[in-house]
Amino acid sequence: MDLDLNQDQQAIQDAVEALLAKHAGPERAVELQVDDAYDHALHQALEEAGFLEIGLVDGAGWLEAVLVVEAVARAAGTVSIGASAVVAPALLARVPRGAVALAGGEEGELIRHAVQASCALLDGGEEAILVPLEGSPATPVATNYVVPMGRLPGSLPEGERLGPGSGELLRRFWRLAIAAECVGAMRAALDLTVEYVTNRRQFGRPVGSFQALQHRLAECEVLVQGGRWLTLRAAHRAASAEAAALAAAHTAGTALRVFNEMHQMTGAMGFTREHPLHIWTTRLHVLRHELGGARLHRQAAARARWLHHTTQGVGRGN
Amino acid sequence: MEFDWSPEDQAYRAELRAFIAATLPQSWAEISQEGPGGAAQVAYSEEFCAELARQGWLTQHWPEAYGGKDASSWRHAVVSEEMWGNAEPRGPRYMTVNWVGPSIMHFGTEEQKALHLPRIARGEEVWCQGFSEPEAGSDLAALRTLAIRDGDEYVINGSKIWTSYVNHAHYCFLIVRTDPESKGRRGISALLLPMDLPGIELREIPGLLGKKYFHEVFFRDVRAPVSCRLGPEHEGWEVVTYTLAYERVGAAHYERAERVLDTLAEAARKRGLLEDPSILERLGQARAAVEASRLLTHRVIDLREKGSRPTPDTNIARVAGTWAVRAVGDLVHELHGAAALAYDTEADGYYRLSQWAGVASGTTEVQLNLIASHQLRLPRE
Ligand SMILES: Cc1cc2nc3c(=O)[nH]c(=O)nc-3n(C[C@H](O)[C@H](O)[C@H](O)COP(=O)(O)OP(=O)(O)OC[C@H]3O[C@@H](n4cnc5c(N)ncnc54)[C@H](O)[C@@H]3O)c2cc1C
Repeated sequence: MDLDLNQDQQAIQDAVEALLAKHAGPERAVELQVDDAYDHALHQALEEAGFLEIGLVDGAGWLEAVLVVEAVARAAGTVSIGASAVVAPALLARVPRGAVALAGGEEGELIRHAVQASCALLDGGEEAILVPLEGSPATPVATNYVVPMGRLPGSLPEGERLGPGSGELLRRFWRLAIAAECVGAMRAALDLTVEYVTNRRQFGRPVGSFQALQHRLAECEVLVQGGRWLTLRAAHRAASAEAAALAAAHTAGTALRVFNEMHQMTGAMGFTREHPLHIWTTRLHVLRHELGGARLHRQAAARARWLHHTTQGVGRGN
Repeated sequence: MEFDWSPEDQAYRAELRAFIAATLPQSWAEISQEGPGGAAQVAYSEEFCAELARQGWLTQHWPEAYGGKDASSWRHAVVSEEMWGNAEPRGPRYMTVNWVGPSIMHFGTEEQKALHLPRIARGEEVWCQGFSEPEAGSDLAALRTLAIRDGDEYVINGSKIWTSYVNHAHYCFLIVRTDPESKGRRGISALLLPMDLPGIELREIPGLLGKKYFHEVFFRDVRAPVSCRLGPEHEGWEVVTYTLAYERVGAAHYERAERVLDTLAEAARKRGLLEDPSILERLGQARAAVEASRLLTHRVIDLREKGSRPTPDTNIARVAGTWAVRAVGDLVHELHGAAALAYDTEADGYYRLSQWAGVASGTTEVQLNLIASHQLRLPRE
């Protein structure tokens, strides 16, 4: 056991953070949000620097990929990072061009980046299906959450069936990706809130000096750190059914708590679009629903341990 | 980053498991019904620790100079997990080898080391921890028990409370105020007090969580030689901090929680409930809490193995550990229903054990205070 990043992992994290400092961050996210745009420039920069394929590279792997996903989520990058750097490479052994959408296979479901994606990976139960999305067949769906969402049409091109067992593989890596994005977003939201309550003064003292807030922030710290370790271990275990489901169960279950607490503690200011908190918290609201949310992740974790079943998704194929 | 145990530690764990399976008596479930401080378990722990010592496994984490094997913190963690996972057959002696011994090594005189360490290493001594007082719980530095110097003796007056294992202990790791004019953390000293001195009296306080008692200990003009003081006079707070850092992640609560969760799942399977999605959901949720606690504790062990000073990671792991234990404890009742009220059921045994997780060895609120100030660096008033 050794729970520090090794030198290579540290170097990867530093490098992706340096790239993100240039190409991402809350201001960029706010700019894009005006017309629900996808950050093609950031996507391209990550791709060119090799960060999307890092899970497939010799000498690296899913842990390195998850470090990248976590960092992008922390920097509020508006790209399909979990799908592009973790899920698609695991299923296809390559990185598809352009944004990737992940679909549970449920009729009429809301899908992240459906409109911007050039392909979708669909959970068809036993098999996963790779569907090209040429000509943008999806319809945008307006939400209050700053993530571009859309719906796929009822009839899609055949697509490529990825073989028996690929459905389970999709769900495993999707759970890992959800967990990694949740961890990044929660970390950023918590850090920002700690900073806010440290500076904001009422009753002649920083509001962060009130124990009523301190304990709740400390609890969130325990939850975020616990979720992060579960996520890193799941990555180290190549998204084994149990490890990935535990990571997703913990992080997706915590996401709502963090959302509620951070907004409570930043008062009215946190409910504005002028304060950057929403950039991370509203993503948490989207992430916590993916692949059935905490409820199904918890069931999946229990099934993996005690029933030795493959897990179940949300769609018709399941 | 490496989440797998080394092949050596894995092999050792297998060996230790086989040893435990071969050694624990048939009646172990009954013996362990009241936890490490129960009379039957304390009695059995003497035999078990002697056997463990013969294998060279009781104090392998100690330095070679003191009869240990300089085993890594990870090896020590394997022992903690397997022991606590099996309801702690070392009884109160886990505490003696975990932190009493190391504190004596760190702060003790040659005489103190020679007196205690070999006997602790053979599993012979039982110790108790005399920290809390009626007026000094979370605010430990408010302690008032006095030890006034009289020549080469201390005269001790005062009382301690909640002192686990005191009714079985040969020695008490006692903290007292040696400077009567002092307040707070200054003026405190640690004593290695023999429990057979005249003037020590125990009072039993019936406990809610089992057929056993808490204890209050009274000291009336107890005379102890100055040579039993551990560390510098009036500067004993340093000793306290040192021991608490060892104590807080000493017991691998998550391991027991995991095994109880497995038995809960088996019980649900027998009753045809394991396919019920709502039951699966609760089991999965509790398991996520348990595994988070395991990993956060492993991080503390990792840091300790790398020689880091204690960090707030310890407090974070403690809080997660308490949540894990409580989540599983609550699930025991949810799954077994009213049947879990019956004494002597395994369900009831674990539920009782899970109840005080947030109070003993520093409350959850105190841990949260420490995380807020040392990890999040939130402002003070
Ligand atoms: C099973 C068991 C075994 C024990 N064994 C031992 C032992 O062997 N030796 C020993 O010395 N002690 C022992 N203790 C005592 C234990 O260490 C104390 O119970 C603990 O430190 C809390 O002290 P208290 O019970 O006086 O609670 P109090 O300090 O009175 O606390 C009451 C409540 O107030 C809260 N509170 C207190 N201060 C603050 C604060 N600053 N901010 C927010 N909330 C606060 C607490 O969190 C708690 O919820 C044991 C306790 C138990 C339950």
